[in-house]
Amino acid sequence: MSSITISMSVNGKAVTAAAEPRTLLVEFLRETLKLTGTHVGCDTSQCGACVVHVDGKSVKSCTMLAATAEGAAITTIEGLAKDGELHPMQAAFREHHGLQCGFCTPGMVMSAVDLVSRHPNPDEHTVREQLEGNICRCTGYHNIVKAVIAGAAAMRS
Amino acid sequence: MTATGNAEGFGASVKRKEDQRFLTGKGNYTDDINRRGQSYAHFVRSPHAHARIRGIDASAALAMPGVLTVLTGQDVAADKLGGLICGWTIHSKDGSPMKAPAHPILALDEVRFVGDHVAVVIAETASQAKDAAEAVAVDYDVLPAVVSTADAAKPGSPLVHADVPSNLCYQWELGDKAATEAAFKNAAHIVSLDLVNNRLIPNPMEPRAAVGDYDSGTGTFTLFTTSQNPHLARLVLSAFVGIAPEHKLRVVAPDVGGGFGSKIFIYSEEAVCVWAAKKVDRPVKWTSDRSEAFLSDAHGRDHVSHAELAVDAEGRFLGLHVRTTAAMGAYLHTFSAAVPTYLYGTLLAGQYTTPAIYVEVDAVFTNTAPVDAYRGAGRPEATYLLERIVECAARDLGKDPAELRRLNFIRKFPYATPVALEYDVGDFDASMDRALELAEYSTFPARKAEAARRGKLRGIGFSAYIEACGLAPSRVAGALGAGVGLFESAQVRFNPTGNVQVFTGCHSHGQGHETTYAQLVSEHLGVSLDNIEIIHGDTAQVQYGLGTYGSRSGSVGGSAIIKAADKIIAKGRKIVAYRMEASVDDIEFKAGVFKVAGTDKQMTIAEVAFNAYVPHNYPLEELEPGLDENAFYDPQNFTFPSGTHICEVEIDPETGVTQIVKFTAVDDFGRIINPMIVHGQVHGGIAQGIGQAMLEGCHYDEETGQLITGSFMDYCMPRADDLPNFTIDATETACTHNPIGVKGCGEAGAIGSPPAVINAVTDAIGIRHMDMPATPERVWRAIQSTRLPRAAE
Amino acid sequence: MDMSGEYRIPAPRERVWAALNDPEILRQAIPGCESVTKTSDTDMEAAVTAAVGPVKARFKGKVTLSDINPPESYTITGEGTGGAAGFAKGSAQVSLREDGADTVMTYVVKANVGGKLAQIGSRLIDGTAKKMADEFFTRFVALSSVETTTEAATAPAPTPAVALAEPSRGIPTAVWISGLVVAVLAVLYLMNR
Repeated sequence: MSSITISMSVNGKAVTAAAEPRTLLVEFLRETLKLTGTHVGCDTSQCGACVVHVDGKSVKSCTMLAATAEGAAITTIEGLAKDGELHPMQAAFREHHGLQCGFCTPGMVMSAVDLVSRHPNPDEHTVREQLEGNICRCTGYHNIVKAVIAGAAAMRS
Repeated sequence: MTATGNAEGFGASVKRKEDQRFLTGKGNYTDDINRRGQSYAHFVRSPHAHARIRGIDASAALAMPGVLTVLTGQDVAADKLGGLICGWTIHSKDGSPMKAPAHPILALDEVRFVGDHVAVVIAETASQAKDAAEAVAVDYDVLPAVVSTADAAKPGSPLVHADVPSNLCYQWELGDKAATEAAFKNAAHIVSLDLVNNRLIPNPMEPRAAVGDYDSGTGTFTLFTTSQNPHLARLVLSAFVGIAPEHKLRVVAPDVGGGFGSKIFIYSEEAVCVWAAKKVDRPVKWTSDRSEAFLSDAHGRDHVSHAELAVDAEGRFLGLHVRTTAAMGAYLHTFSAAVPTYLYGTLLAGQYTTPAIYVEVDAVFTNTAPVDAYRGAGRPEATYLLERIVECAARDLGKDPAELRRLNFIRKFPYATPVALEYDVGDFDASMDRALELAEYSTFPARKAEAARRGKLRGIGFSAYIEACGLAPSRVAGALGAGVGLFESAQVRFNPTGNVQVFTGCHSHGQGHETTYAQLVSEHLGVSLDNIEIIHGDTAQVQYGLGTYGSRSGSVGGSAIIKAADKIIAKGRKIVAYRMEASVDDIEFKAGVFKVAGTDKQMTIAEVAFNAYVPHNYPLEELEPGLDENAFYDPQNFTFPSGTHICEVEIDPETGVTQIVKFTAVDDFGRIINPMIVHGQVHGGIAQGIGQAMLEGCHYDEETGQLITGSFMDYCMPRADDLPNFTIDATETACTHNPIGVKGCGEAGAIGSPPAVINAVTDAIGIRHMDMPATPERVWRAIQSTRLPRAAE
Repeated sequence: MDMSGEYRIPAPRERVWAALNDPEILRQAIPGCESVTKTSDTDMEAAVTAAVGPVKARFKGKVTLSDINPPESYTITGEGTGGAAGFAKGSAQVSLREDGADTVMTYVVKANVGGKLAQIGSRLIDGTAKKMADEFFTRFVALSSVETTTEAATAPAPTPAVALAEPSRGIPTAVWISGLVVAVLAVLYLMNR
């Protein structure tokens, strides 16, 4: 199959790489750029393990062609911590045991950060509703909800 | 601060060491591993539930770009490979062994479930392999199929295996039939119940994956795989499939994204990847997509049961008779035969003094994915049946469900049940009392009345469970048919500079072993958490192990670590005695410091380690240099976590939508190492239990055997807005037979919660029984059935 | 899986039967129909690209007709495979009944799907199925209720993908094609269940 050249900014760095036109953004990140923090947990855009930020908004990267992200600014879980310091949302997940096996965690954290940008002071109900697109099989969500509320508070301060 | 003053030790909610890498995208899962020169596998799977393979034409696929090879069952047979096995042999009532039909890693001449492995395409890229797999032409002669557990053994049902009459794998029994029949003769009431334990699909968020590699220079195979027990995978692939001798096969299970049992097992795909790696002389990688996971991961539960409980006039349980049909799926699986027998029938006493119990289990083959252990494995099925029929008894007799349970509680320990277990310890009143208090049971009637004023139906349901975990005493397991020992191993290695590496045969895939085991070692040896590294999941590093399942990592794996740590202390005492010119008997060890009793002479454990590795002044005549100890720990008994779960629901009768307004769980896990992690395990277990009770259910089309709940769109996984916050507490009776006093907490949530939910839902509606899952449609229909005038029937 | 349906067409039965046997009308009416090839007096193959929900595939179908009773009824048996998307097979009894100036077309379909179609397609695409069926019948009703010839209606004619060689004996090609339509419809319906 023919290949095309795709350019975008990923975690603040400009990248250009060749890929098949059918390449999904998540495949481009994982296979081409070897950014394996973004995970694939399903093939029907249900689970949210692949959530990244595209131009500041959360997107399931399995639903988007890499070519569609041409010129976009992508942030993945690898780009969230700055200068070795966990992002407040990452720190809150650790503090409140909002992760167990860690597989849904990157997508969950990226969704949570986007959630807070839209709901700076979310209550439990809002968090649960907003995380409907991210499936976790380990935690029962109890501690994720606590973590997101605490992470939101930390992001405000 | 813990008992020994160690802020990082036993009982402290230490934050997890593993979180840093998971939170920053630096986890190392199997699909993240890429080997130089790697090729990709894609499996051709049967679209039919049952068919004869007339022929496979791979010529078109072989001609496609990037295709290296296409392998079929014929190639497996030509290489004289063995098949997958079931590690537990169950014997029928008549003494005959279970029927264990061959389970080849690629189907030879017949496929027996939708998703069965027919062929594999290996290509340069994953998409090329996938494209070419579509071009593999398989000529099928479609045969009739049976998917219904209840119907599988009925006359006229199609046979899954031609040589297994009536699809019966085994017909097993446990308990005293005559005594149970006698108990029913004396009963004032007989409570009977038919129920189904719905088939579930485990769905850990990380789909299975495998990378096989072969080094022709050394003749060594390496398999990276999503496994809960890499040594067992090595054993089976070596001894039974015959891919390589054990010492020439390394199995690595790196970070694993959840298992819940489904990654205990040894699957075709990992066997094929490691075998094919030699055939193409390239590393071979396979990553399941979710659709494949639905079809080919082992499923869980799937029982159809009839139960009768004999009760005297006061409500005391006299006898229990259970008849269960359990699905095995199309083939026996790694542990499947043991699940509806020794992990199920043995638990039917529950928390009660029922003196006579008799259980019969027919295991049947069906044209469905294999069924094996899934979080709880047998114990949720036993608990659901028992706690449902006890609830029915309370309603039939007009007794308070909590009081009826209390009337029958076991209070003397050790207690030998009529179904082969001996409970070492427990306090069922304590967890019931605390749960009633937290659930505010006494004021429930007011809440129900208030809900009724709003037009809502409110109900409350109990579950008083006990489970057996800490698998398992090898002697007992062996006597019951287990093909492997069920001990655990550990190695505690001090480095010369005083830090510690701990090697464990258990595997962590979410449980946080890197933290809790480190806490154990920190508490026991007085080394700071930062100086302890837990290593697991690699047969080249860890001496041996049986892996993680059956809530065994704390009680069995942890005890092995303690045993190895005790050997370190014993050796340290000898070294210190020599250096201090004192008697070994006078050397005390506490919080990382060896002291000569009654003096101020002391050495830290780090100094001892340095002495052991730099043995200039060392008792070489009596001791070897080095500070590195191995231990194997085989438990004396199962451990018996227990507890009370109480669920309160509110139902909108207009829509059938059920909301869990409060879920209370009070568990007795014995001593608790890290409460934060234990609570997390309970939360997750309850979520899966609520999932089973309200949302999840696997369905195959009865006529065609197609899986019709084959994606997250049709199989309803619990999501954040389906669940409440949980109210969790613990009571404690320490396990009497392991050095830590722990029992196990990984499965209890999934075991205790489903009957609590269904008891609450049926209480709210005012019906006797409803099969899981209690979906809004089912609930709505049930409500309608209570409202329809009888005359309309 | 069983399903049935009924459509009222404002045209006389003979014209509807003729339209049902007009390959070009049918090809235009079936969403995604690419080609029809007759392989024997009793067998035909067709290719239809169907994109329903997440499952998009080019289906190759085999169709057999029986119990042909012009202009009233026939039974059609079809089997289609769509590679990794799975397979569909089934049969449909189709009949035309006169009702005043109109014709009522009824069909009863029994069929099965397998593979990804069954796994992913079961519930997701119900709505799409209805839409595609409506699309077929809307087009078919429009095409069959006007008194024009096929050539006039479709000029300029697309490259004919249909093998129109009239058999010297046996069932006319056009009948086969109409059978295929129903088989394809059956497939589409099933995909959409």
